[in-house]
Amino acid sequence: MKTKLFRGLIGLLLTSIFASAYTTAVHASELVVYSGRKDKFIKPLIEKFTADTGIKVILHSAKSTALLNKLRIEGERTSADLFISNDAGNLQTGSQLGLFAPINDKIVSVIPTNLRAEDNSWVGLSARARVLVVNKNAKDLGFVTSVFDLADQRLKDRIAITHSSNGSFIAGVTVYQMSMGDAFVADWLKGMKDNAGDKLFSKHSKIVKAVAQGKKDIGLVNHYYIYRHLAKHPDAPIRILLPDQDKKQIGVAWNVAGVAISKYSKKKLLAEKLVGYFVAAEGQQQFAGVNNEYPAREGIQAAAEVPAAGSYKVADVPMAELGKRRIETLNLLDKVGMP
Amino acid sequence: MSAIEQTYIAEPAWPVRAWQSMKRRVGWLGLLATGIVVIAAVPLLFVLYSSSQLSMAGWQSLWSERLPDLLWNTLSLAVLVAIGSFILGVSSAWLIARREFVGRQLAVWLMVLPLTIPTYVFAHIYTIMFEEDGWIGSTWQAVFGNAVAIPDLYSVGGVTFILSIAGFSYVFLLVRSALEHSNPSLEEAARIQGLSPMQVFWRVNLPLLRPAIAAGLALVVLHVLSDFGAVSMLRYQTFTLSIYLQMEGRFDYQGAAGLSLVLVFLSLSFLVLERYSRRRQRYYATGTQQRRAALRSATTFEQCMIWGWLGLITLFAFLLPLAWMLDWSWQAWQDDVLDATFWGYVSNSLIVAAAAATIAIIAAFPVAFFHTRKRSTLSASYIQLSSIGFVLPGPVIALGILSFILVVLSPLYGGMTALLMALVIRFLPLALQSQEASLQHLTPSIEQAGRILGAGPLENLRRVVLPMISNGMIVAWVLVFIDALKELPATLILRPTGFDTLPVRIWIEASEESLELAAPAALMLVVGTLPALWLMMRKNRQAGSAG
Repeated sequence: MKTKLFRGLIGLLLTSIFASAYTTAVHASELVVYSGRKDKFIKPLIEKFTADTGIKVILHSAKSTALLNKLRIEGERTSADLFISNDAGNLQTGSQLGLFAPINDKIVSVIPTNLRAEDNSWVGLSARARVLVVNKNAKDLGFVTSVFDLADQRLKDRIAITHSSNGSFIAGVTVYQMSMGDAFVADWLKGMKDNAGDKLFSKHSKIVKAVAQGKKDIGLVNHYYIYRHLAKHPDAPIRILLPDQDKKQIGVAWNVAGVAISKYSKKKLLAEKLVGYFVAAEGQQQFAGVNNEYPAREGIQAAAEVPAAGSYKVADVPMAELGKRRIETLNLLDKVGMP
Repeated sequence: MSAIEQTYIAEPAWPVRAWQSMKRRVGWLGLLATGIVVIAAVPLLFVLYSSSQLSMAGWQSLWSERLPDLLWNTLSLAVLVAIGSFILGVSSAWLIARREFVGRQLAVWLMVLPLTIPTYVFAHIYTIMFEEDGWIGSTWQAVFGNAVAIPDLYSVGGVTFILSIAGFSYVFLLVRSALEHSNPSLEEAARIQGLSPMQVFWRVNLPLLRPAIAAGLALVVLHVLSDFGAVSMLRYQTFTLSIYLQMEGRFDYQGAAGLSLVLVFLSLSFLVLERYSRRRQRYYATGTQQRRAALRSATTFEQCMIWGWLGLITLFAFLLPLAWMLDWSWQAWQDDVLDATFWGYVSNSLIVAAAAATIAIIAAFPVAFFHTRKRSTLSASYIQLSSIGFVLPGPVIALGILSFILVVLSPLYGGMTALLMALVIRFLPLALQSQEASLQHLTPSIEQAGRILGAGPLENLRRVVLPMISNGMIVAWVLVFIDALKELPATLILRPTGFDTLPVRIWIEASEESLELAAPAALMLVVGTLPALWLMMRKNRQAGSAG
């Protein structure tokens, strides 16, 4: 018994030493991608890339902001070659922290300049629109033409919005702030807070569901959530409302998902190959297509059911601003006490 | 020549002198303990350093804008969860320790099994079940109609519910063991004097149980203060969540460190208060008493009542979540999504948790042994310092370790070192507590006898000390293993690239709302914990019957 325990202890100790010595060996021909995009959207594309090129990819998934922190703390010791995020705000923040290396202009020039960083330190791959989802049977919604109408008292207890910690929500507020000014947006947020009551939503998908079931009349979401719901429930009584389309109005707020190459990557050429794969026509179709988003590259169409890009007015805000002004937005949300 | 030698010997450099005097004073064991404590204190040093970088204006804005709300949220939650765990834990322990009924042993297990489910899994499962088309939501509407709204889990009540069912088992375990070892003659005397069973409970049992209840509630409250998973899923702003958001969303490490410092202060003062409140409460069993309380068999009516109550607890704390996991895992099995990668997560988790538990009990041993031998202020302060893992939130420990490794041990970065170090530091207090308890039975004379009989220090350790504390070691290992297996925030930050464990996958799949993948991962966590739990319960019973 005594020696058994002693031996067992030594055995366990050896195992742990072995385990701690274990390192995920990253080979010279492997790419490490820190990804904040959903696994199921990025994995098929990565797998196809590996099949086509023979380059292996290690996918390290987590929340974009957490990965950005990791990159920042790791500095030159990072094993990451690329960083993928669903939010231009994150990409630009990383760029301002000096975490990214500029990508070869030849590769990214197919993407419009307002959908990538000025210095090409990141490039947008797919765009999403902040739109309104409306229940078709809801009454007295005729007056709603703008996201700012969500603060109207007539919509008391009828609107569905996410918590203000949601990345898409934050990015949207930045666009509105830039177009309308802080004071106006602060009032708008307060009005929305009143209208939403206690019930704030943790996920966009739940907003669409609530509107479809008639619990709420109108919600503020990314456009693809509507089509995801309709794909499952084709008869759901919901429709998209593209806000702020009048001449004097600001247009729809966009945000992009994109990719950047780590400044400390030792495999920049391989990494640029993957970026090239993403921005190629086929890669664009897939990257955006799996989620009904808009391909960032001009001339590639989004899914047929989605309102075509160019057929409506988009707020004139370069995506890089979403990062530059993020802290201002967070401060404003804090000041208003947005839950 | 000799004069030179003499001056050389007389004047060694100061670090050498310090080392020598240190060695003389505390011995090899003390030095080993010192080394371990220094490593365990790394996250605290990080917090102190980072918060010292925080400007006055930074402190002021934290103080005026964040702290009042955070204090209120955190403290009110701690009090509510303590009340919830008290009701669930004490009632179930009393029923099981004082009444004989059909399936009593099963009931013990059912009250402990919730420990296998992490708080974020509870939170995830219940938010889904409370939706309108979820199991509870639809039942609710069928019973109450649309008139009564389904309770909202994203509230203080919801978080209290989740953390109470996830934590009451600690109270249950400690109170049951205290009840089983308490002197039945006191209760009998009270009964003879004409007190009703209810009065006996309030006036005899409860006062006697105060130390056990306080210890159990202290565990529960510390878990509340450091919980990350449930509060972040339910978006309830406590200190830990706010610290995480401050770091993650705003890259404000100094602000996060400042908040952590307040949290450390809060937790420590709570611990001190808890010790102070029961400083004079030691209830000694008189020598003659070794008789166990006779269990009164319950009447049929009482049996129904007992099982009604225990059944209700276990329904919410274990059976419903288990059923949900089984249901969705079956779905996943049929959809054939459980491939080799999934089993890879399982083995990753088991390896990490086993390694962390092993290192933790080995690291805890010198510190605990040093304290049992010396009982000095120094050794006691070592014990306190090693408990830092309990009062610092996981994300902060992770960040401290990360910075430390990148600066001091950078060649080791990228492997498992950072992750294991964080897990060991986080759960060192657990390992320490159980080892310390079993070391207390080891009187110096036993060791001295071994030495007199010619055993060297190492042989003595191997043949006398370790066998005597083996039970305590096993319990310690199991406790650390269970917690390390469920650990989320530090693992999220420190895992090597592409290295996913079950908690990490649950976290990712839950945020992506793919239930078929989150459920089997959660189920495997429960299954993986079961053997460890079984081992602990067996050892507990052995220790119980031996003592």
